[in-house]
Amino acid sequence: MAEGMVRLENISKKFANTYAVKELNLDIKTGEFLTLLGPSGCGKTSTLRVIAGFEKPTSGNIWIDGKKVDKIEPYNREVNTVFQSYSLFPHMTVADNVAFGLKMKKVSKQDIKNKVKEALNLVQLENFAARKPKNLSGGQQQRIAIARAIVNNPKVLLLDEPLGALDLKLRKQMQLELKQLQQELGMTFIYVTHDQEEALTMSDRIVIMNQGKIEQTGLPDEIYEKPATKFVADFIGETNLFEGKVMQTNDTYATMECAGQYIIIPNNQNFLENESVYMSIRPEKIKVSAHANDKVKQLKVIMKDEIYIGSVTKIIAAFPDGQEVVAHGSRDIFKRCSQGSQLYLSWEPADSIVFKMKEKLEV
Amino acid sequence: MREGTKKTLFVFTILVFAFFYIPILVLMVFSFNDSKIGTVWTGFTFDWYIRLFSNSQIIDAAFNSLFIAIVTTVISTVLGTLAALTLHRYGFPGKRTVGFVFYIPVVIPDIVLAVALLVLYSFLNVKLGLATVIPGHVVFATSFVILVLLARLAGLDKALEEAAKDLGANEWHTFWKVTFPLIYPGILAGALLAFTISLDEFVVAFFTTGPGSNTLPVLVYSMVRRGVSPEINALSTILILAVVLVIVIVGWRMNRMNKQQGGI
Repeated sequence: MAEGMVRLENISKKFANTYAVKELNLDIKTGEFLTLLGPSGCGKTSTLRVIAGFEKPTSGNIWIDGKKVDKIEPYNREVNTVFQSYSLFPHMTVADNVAFGLKMKKVSKQDIKNKVKEALNLVQLENFAARKPKNLSGGQQQRIAIARAIVNNPKVLLLDEPLGALDLKLRKQMQLELKQLQQELGMTFIYVTHDQEEALTMSDRIVIMNQGKIEQTGLPDEIYEKPATKFVADFIGETNLFEGKVMQTNDTYATMECAGQYIIIPNNQNFLENESVYMSIRPEKIKVSAHANDKVKQLKVIMKDEIYIGSVTKIIAAFPDGQEVVAHGSRDIFKRCSQGSQLYLSWEPADSIVFKMKEKLEV
Repeated sequence: MREGTKKTLFVFTILVFAFFYIPILVLMVFSFNDSKIGTVWTGFTFDWYIRLFSNSQIIDAAFNSLFIAIVTTVISTVLGTLAALTLHRYGFPGKRTVGFVFYIPVVIPDIVLAVALLVLYSFLNVKLGLATVIPGHVVFATSFVILVLLARLAGLDKALEEAAKDLGANEWHTFWKVTFPLIYPGILAGALLAFTISLDEFVVAFFTTGPGSNTLPVLVYSMVRRGVSPEINALSTILILAVVLVIVIVGWRMNRMNKQQGGI
């Protein structure tokens, strides 16, 4: 048994004829903030529900803190959940909601009173104890849902898109508060979201899921800088994906042909000539120039549009065959350019990431 | 809305209400009429009420009806609640058919059920009495309880029950601390409906009750055959007032409860 807090071993969950989760293996460390990230229907919520015990896995084993919990009902698992729709009990006051878990554990009345007060303090809603949930705003209800879960001091806190219903500003604020709370409590958090920015902001480690499987597990910067698959490269942040064939190779570089243009790529995967590959390059890694420069390998493109987004200007250009490419640059570079001008793009080959076609997964 | 339309709608509404309630109002007024012939007003009296309460036949029948209604309410509320919870919560083969079968008594003509029960009792050699009315009433009332409760359950967030389990409540505690308090208004409404249905049910009671054990509607029927006595008017007035009172109280309480929890 690993020393991690949660261990999922070969977990599959089948609904009717389709797998929501397929042969998933994952170790979650104690005190870690781990995020399951993926598009809707990728199996992230099913994975969370399997850990909580609401869904029985079709096959596979689960351990929580070294204990096998496959046959243990949700009410006997030492985990608590913050639900997407908060799910506060409408017929109970805020204090009764928060006290519910402790009452079920038969904690003494005095202890319950103190712990509820402490938990409400933690989420800054100590003055709302006597209110009914419906008299609170969405953000306040969310805080109560968090207090109701953490007051039980669970080994793992499961959060199912808890900020999905809040407006952008409140969501940003709650992201920071949640992260702080997690660090203060040293509790293991498993967080489910489809919002990549949220995942990158809060997580110690991110698990990217697609079609019931893990695409990549890594630190936020790893996920962004070194996507392991084409899916991850495409899903996280903005990227330019090119499809082409490897032409020549040497020990360090290879040349890839894409729509009549030649692109230099790092040869770190023993490419074969004529092999089909995908190449991904982030817009901010592309240097844009209005002039040809003989010293670097450049790609000629035609400018199509520019979009001012505040910090940078996005430029949309097109290859002769029509494939679009997005690059970032400062405003003044484009001052002399207009639609239809010739532009020259270049980047460090090491900044590009290449995926062999055989590991292609549907996006 | 145009002024003319407003006036027309107002008059129309008054007419509809008049159509609904004038017969009942006439009945109530004539329960205080000092005349044995129910058609001419001759003066005010409480005589018919006094006679009513000294008529042991009517009092017996009233207690019979109350007894049947209470037993029916208890049985059908429990059965209906369990059935509705099962239909709401679990998927099982034939679920749609089972749900449909529960609705049949709502649409089936009373007389069919009454005759069917009578045939069954004679086949099984069951002696007709007061208790033989109860199964027929339970069949009707249970269907209505299920109908009312399924509507309430449809508005119940399943995640609330999951939240309770997540917080350490087993099935038993989840039901009594979360599910029951949230569907309680529905159970109460279903029980109330079951009670009133049983209380004023005539056809099944008429067919399946034994000699000498009349329910109130059956007694009223046999009395009216010998001409409408103002006693019947008095009895009807009391019944109407009792039912209205119960509905007002329950409605007021439910309203307060919904205000407290904001519905579900």
